[in-house]
Amino acid sequence: MKRIIKGFQLSMLALIFVMAVTACGGNASNSGSSASNTAEKANSSGNESAVGDEVKITLLNSKGEIQTQLEDAAKAFHEDNPAITLEIQTVPGGSSPFERASTMYASGNPPTMIMLDTGDVEKFKDRILDLSGEKWNADAVANATDLTSFDGKNFAFPLAIEGYGFIYNKAVVDKAVGGSFDPSTIKTTADLENLFKQIEASGKKALVISPMDWSLGAHYLPLAYAGQNKDMAEVNKFMDSLKAGTADLANNKVFNGLMDTFDLMMKYNMDQKSPLSGVYERGPEVLGKGEVGIWFMGNWAWPQISSFDTANGQYGFLPVPISSNPDDYGNQEISSAVSKRIVLDKEKSTPEQQEAAKKFLNWIVYEQKGQDFLVNKASIIPAFKNITLPAADPLGQSIQAYIANGKSEQSMSTLPADHWSKVGASMQKYLAKAGDRATLAAEIEDYWKNVK
Amino acid sequence: MIAEKGVWNKLRSRLLFTGPTLFAFITVMIVPFLYGIYLTFTNWDGISTSHSLVGLSNYGEVFKDGVFWKSFGLTLKYVFLSVVLINAIAFALAYMLSRGMKGQSIFRAGFFVPNLVGGIVLGFIWQFIFSNVLVFFGTKAGIPFLSASWLADPDTAFWSLVIVTVWQYAGYMMVIFVAGLMSVPGDILEAASIDGANGWTKMRKMILPLMIPSFIVTIFLSLQRCFMVYDLNLTLTKGGPFKSTEMVSMHVYEKAFLSRDYGVGQAEAFVLFLLVAAITLLQVYFSKRMEVEA
Repeated sequence: MKRIIKGFQLSMLALIFVMAVTACGGNASNSGSSASNTAEKANSSGNESAVGDEVKITLLNSKGEIQTQLEDAAKAFHEDNPAITLEIQTVPGGSSPFERASTMYASGNPPTMIMLDTGDVEKFKDRILDLSGEKWNADAVANATDLTSFDGKNFAFPLAIEGYGFIYNKAVVDKAVGGSFDPSTIKTTADLENLFKQIEASGKKALVISPMDWSLGAHYLPLAYAGQNKDMAEVNKFMDSLKAGTADLANNKVFNGLMDTFDLMMKYNMDQKSPLSGVYERGPEVLGKGEVGIWFMGNWAWPQISSFDTANGQYGFLPVPISSNPDDYGNQEISSAVSKRIVLDKEKSTPEQQEAAKKFLNWIVYEQKGQDFLVNKASIIPAFKNITLPAADPLGQSIQAYIANGKSEQSMSTLPADHWSKVGASMQKYLAKAGDRATLAAEIEDYWKNVK
Repeated sequence: MIAEKGVWNKLRSRLLFTGPTLFAFITVMIVPFLYGIYLTFTNWDGISTSHSLVGLSNYGEVFKDGVFWKSFGLTLKYVFLSVVLINAIAFALAYMLSRGMKGQSIFRAGFFVPNLVGGIVLGFIWQFIFSNVLVFFGTKAGIPFLSASWLADPDTAFWSLVIVTVWQYAGYMMVIFVAGLMSVPGDILEAASIDGANGWTKMRKMILPLMIPSFIVTIFLSLQRCFMVYDLNLTLTKGGPFKSTEMVSMHVYEKAFLSRDYGVGQAEAFVLFLLVAAITLLQVYFSKRMEVEA
């Protein structure tokens, strides 16, 4: 009897040990991918049962608003290339693509393609593929890959151009100015105030400020950096002086001009009773319904605006003026830049997967279906010269028009990762009148002195 | 079997029962913990393939990081208020719901339910209540302190956090108190009544001293949970407005993953661990000495 029990104990121990070992080992190589693979095979009506070397690739999407469009594109791509299955993964709301991608790398299971923000690409440099040899490099718009090139090698695919400024609802401003509104008449801070007054006189609210830290910290305030000079090298010099602690923000002309405009926005803000309680969703709603004439945001907001649209799809951008001289840089320029980049993993992806991923990128740029997805379905302004399709939505068209007329200002896309959060909080403090302009300037200077 | 001689035999039967748990505990708790401590001596940024040892400089950064200590101070204030309110309300509820009133089991279940809802969901629900529902009624009824979102002002946002925390944990602690109250022997209370003790005297001299073990547990649990609050902080206020309600866990997370200062973030987490461990151990040690026998 004893012998039997002993034997039982031993075998249990062995079983536990084996289970533990296999559980760990199984994770590393192809966790779960085989299961979804077979599911995919079953889906695609079984007419390609002969395909031997099927490749499965993944894309981590960090533009949540185009998730369904991307999934449709993945299907279309699969139809064109039956051997390749593309799965779209998402970055969960609230976390950044960097966080998600680094977690996936830490767990040894990175996606084949990752959609990153421009400033993050450098951090991944050691783990991603050099894409300099790809054909699309030659067709990209000017300077599109400068910020993702290191030691002469480009590591990322420029996916989208995004721009931001004051979005106006044409129906509301037309009524306010009595006639057809011409955005080029707004060239100074005084012009803008005049427009605000006219809108209020017509019985609407002038504008709504969405108080999210990312909007104020990553988009509004950086206009003060980018507007320093038309020459990017001068802007970089200014950033260096901020880091060195030698820049005097409180007496900086561009910063003060931008904040004067912000004071004006606060004065006419529809939420001024409780300026911090607004949420992002409120902006497109009040603008689309025509309750306000103007909202500070970017062209990515189009899907949300269009679902409330009462102006017949007539919207456009106004630059954020920073002075009373119409010719000052920034008064007529709209801020825009290539904002999302796709990188290819080289650590865990097989050469076949890398080839398939490269094929997908080429498909977007050169195939008619891919271009259609990019421009018409996902409402993206492409960063490629060979794509001649006009932007599908009014906001994209407006940005494109500014760029075509040379009226664009390069957005700051390589700010430190916590800039939006920390400086955004300082801006919120200013917006809630819990701190004055001197406090704001001191906090921003302080941030730059301590940043790594 | 356990009495069998030989180290291997003893070890084997012990491993049979504790082995699986031990294995899980070591792999998911001990190893990451030790690795985390190792990372505090490096300058890793969370993604790069290489990092170098930087000695104790990360700990120096922790002591220089004023925001960390500010949010630690805020967390202390939050913990103090929450722990006091949670325990006071939970005890009051337990006392009322263990006197044999009609339908008390239903009430007990009702108060316990918030604890079953996860912190994330709870945060979103209360965010909606504070910034939409209350504001709606406030504006309709013309009540000034309700007509603006509580989450938009630093002070009221802080109190919103306390209120939701108390609401979430009071029911849980109530259950522990109910169990404690039931174990207070009825005979000594009866004897006290015969001797002429009134309700308040009985409460002060008999029930509360006999409830010390329950208080040790509830205060320990609420202390530890409030110190580590993150989910509620994230979903209810996101640390806002302008970082005024950023608790220490959230600060540590942002240091490591948003500012990409993994080493300093880990070092702050470790310092936080030491502080919280010290506080809770002191609490248990001192309250153990207050225990009495019936």
